[in-house]
Amino acid sequence: MAKPKVAFFDFACCEGCQLQIANIGELLLDVLGLIDVVEFREVMSEKGPDKIDVAIVEGSITDKHAIERIKKIRERASVLIAYGACACTGGVNGMKNNFKLEDIRKEVYGDRFNYFDTVETKAVHQVVKVDYFVNGCPVYIPEFVKVLKCALQGLPYEVPDQSVCTECKLNENVCMYERGVTCLGPVTKAGCNSWCINNGNICYGCRGMVSNPNEKGAQDVIKKYNVPMDLVMNKMNMYNKCRENDKK
Amino acid sequence: MKAVKIKDSEYEIKKGKILKAKMLTTMEKYFEIALPGGESLDHEPGQFVEVSILGIGEAPISISSSPTKRGSFELVVRNAGKLSGALHKLEAGDEVGIRGPFGKGFPVRILEGNDLLFVAAGLGVVPLRSLINFVIDNRRDFGKVNILLGCRTPQNMLFNDELEQWGKRLDVNFNCTVDKADPDWKGNVGLITTLIPGINLEPERTFAVVVGPPIMYKFVIVELLKKQIPERQILVSLERHMKCGLGKCGHCQINNMYCCQDGPVFTYDKIKGIPEAL
Amino acid sequence: MLHNLEQYVVLAKSDFDHFIVALAREQKVFAPVAKDFGQFSFEQVTEGRQVALKYIPTILPPKKYFMPQYETLATFDTSTGQNMEPVVEYEKMVLLGVHTCDLAGIQCLNMVFNERPKDLNYLIRKNKITIIGYECNDYCDKYASCRLVHNHTPNGGYDLFFTDISTDKFIVHVNTLAGEEIIEKANVFEPASEADLKALEKLRTEKRAIFAKNEVPIEHERISELFDKAYSSKVWEELAEKCLACGNCTNVCPSCYCFDVIDEPNLDLKTGKRYRKWDSCQNETFAKVAGGESFREERGARQRHRYYRKFKYPLDKFSRFFCTGCGRCSRTCMAGINLKETLSKLIDEQGMKNPNAGEVKLG
Repeated sequence: MAKPKVAFFDFACCEGCQLQIANIGELLLDVLGLIDVVEFREVMSEKGPDKIDVAIVEGSITDKHAIERIKKIRERASVLIAYGACACTGGVNGMKNNFKLEDIRKEVYGDRFNYFDTVETKAVHQVVKVDYFVNGCPVYIPEFVKVLKCALQGLPYEVPDQSVCTECKLNENVCMYERGVTCLGPVTKAGCNSWCINNGNICYGCRGMVSNPNEKGAQDVIKKYNVPMDLVMNKMNMYNKCRENDKK
Repeated sequence: MKAVKIKDSEYEIKKGKILKAKMLTTMEKYFEIALPGGESLDHEPGQFVEVSILGIGEAPISISSSPTKRGSFELVVRNAGKLSGALHKLEAGDEVGIRGPFGKGFPVRILEGNDLLFVAAGLGVVPLRSLINFVIDNRRDFGKVNILLGCRTPQNMLFNDELEQWGKRLDVNFNCTVDKADPDWKGNVGLITTLIPGINLEPERTFAVVVGPPIMYKFVIVELLKKQIPERQILVSLERHMKCGLGKCGHCQINNMYCCQDGPVFTYDKIKGIPEAL
Repeated sequence: MLHNLEQYVVLAKSDFDHFIVALAREQKVFAPVAKDFGQFSFEQVTEGRQVALKYIPTILPPKKYFMPQYETLATFDTSTGQNMEPVVEYEKMVLLGVHTCDLAGIQCLNMVFNERPKDLNYLIRKNKITIIGYECNDYCDKYASCRLVHNHTPNGGYDLFFTDISTDKFIVHVNTLAGEEIIEKANVFEPASEADLKALEKLRTEKRAIFAKNEVPIEHERISELFDKAYSSKVWEELAEKCLACGNCTNVCPSCYCFDVIDEPNLDLKTGKRYRKWDSCQNETFAKVAGGESFREERGARQRHRYYRKFKYPLDKFSRFFCTGCGRCSRTCMAGINLKETLSKLIDEQGMKNPNAGEVKLG
């Protein structure tokens, strides 16, 4: 069987997630043994063929040109993997949606703002159909490998819909709330093996919110630990502002 | 930590060879499977097996064939999840992993000598078929046999050829209904509950065996009780996610019972006080 | 005399470090170790000073050694069909400093996995683990409810059992041959004297005063009746409002053993392993079937299930409570779902309060 043709694309992002792949070391060779990388701006220059088996898309959709481009990629690809927080949830680019688009353009491009269009930031699935999600900022490589295997087997991959706490507890971390720090683990999707907390950091919610959070319960917890609500909302919106597009 | 091979693990699978595979409807696929060397599965009607495709996973699937069928057994799988989706891609000649049979099936020894009323809705006919065919193959051991079948549309009907055979037999009363007919349908239209009042039966010597989706039980059981069938003579088979089949993993627990060990077949008097059962 | 003198030895506290060092040279030793913010976890130790003998129950109970979070059940290779080889992962080790609540937790797991069909993976691993218990002379903190379930004193389940009887020594109950071998090899233990045993009995008498009453106002014998009555209680709805369904309560529970079984192929997509990992009845998808129906959709129903799995169902099946009284579920719950509080509310609601049997201090 011919190796599946895989292409990497990036939209509004830092390309840090692609860099994660380039950085995985020895495992990379095993992964490359499975696939035929036809387009990968981060490590190669040639442009790929018309039809691809798997498109791995990083970054969020932030202007009209990007909308057209992602639609074309979707047409070319049998399978589309949204890759990284920007692609999966809109990520930090979603913060743009806190402001008027007009103001944003003026702020960024100054008096030449008229030359640059912009649209409300969207996650990839808010524009085209996405087959697989690899959440996280950056992606968690073991999960990426898992998703890739599912894609190659033609199997669905379900992003865990439990909170990060589930994994954090298995890692026997001291709860951040015990340390007096606000952590978004309780409402954020697991799957990262509580990567940040294992390393002494809090959870910033980069993997998106669990689909059925107990909002009242979460508010009680926030109250119990004397955390101002707007602080939590700000933290939440850092990665998850674009979730508002899903409700529309 | 070192990993050492072990014998007699409950997780060991047997290789099942797919002898026949065909789509019964757009959603359900039929498989005939044989164990190595023609080994008998040795199951009771109503039991289930854990079916594996290594690398993808394992799922509980009810056995649809009667143990009177020797040398192979049959499964019918609806494309509803990761494993069942992968199973749908398999064809004759492919292999699956088999563990089991598991669970308590229908108590055939107790049913002997009694009249039987089978009520199946939707996919319920799949496990119930194991018992119906067992009864038909041992017909003289049982009293009157009534079979009531219901499904959404004529296109959802499974085992059409076999249903026709059941319908033709003089020693079996067969009746079916669909929720929604199409122009070709000449039979009953309506929920399965509508077929029950018309059945003539002697309640004290009748066992009713009911299998269907969760929502159907409540309504069917009400009708059966109206017919004066004693609670302990109403048998149901419950669907839960029996992950390990060994009464350990907890997924199939119904209050204090494990569906995989204590069931999936229960008598109504045993579960009527169990809040999570129906 | 209540105790058989021959079964007891003593260890000078000054020799404790020597004992650990010598033991750790023979095999891996795991013991409670202090973490930040007054929390503890079982970790590998090689010296006595690493061991925190005075500790509140560790974040995860010692079940993590008996039933690891991730455990390979089989390896497979599908290049020529469905070829699978069941395996067991184990390691010879000593678990040291196990409190009586956690000993009870291990006993619960033993019962579950010994029940037919037996779970060989668990049973083989369990036999490789030597257990050295350690007595609590007082309450660890306000969350514990070990008296209620009769786990504040040792009920077996160990090879050796240490009790701190004085400023300078531990008395050690030698319960098994494996324990005896450790004592002999270590060569630092002395036979116990009558006076040592008297000290032990004095301590136990003092403990009876400390653990005089249950931690909630109900008799041990009436808990079953309480749960018979409380199935439709409003209290479950209250828990539903609070619960974030994070599953921490079940992960930290020493007697929770639910699991999921998952296949993980290697990158060749042919070889790989089938493993089980801890799962939680608190997860929304736990009781879901392929058709999509979930049989415990509400958080309240899932919390109730957890309580019934501790106080009712195992009582019917194994004649013991699966709540060990360790208090971990309450300690870990961000939403503040507290076992003692829940029980008290149920007791009040059902009119079963008996102040003579116990009192609740939530403090």
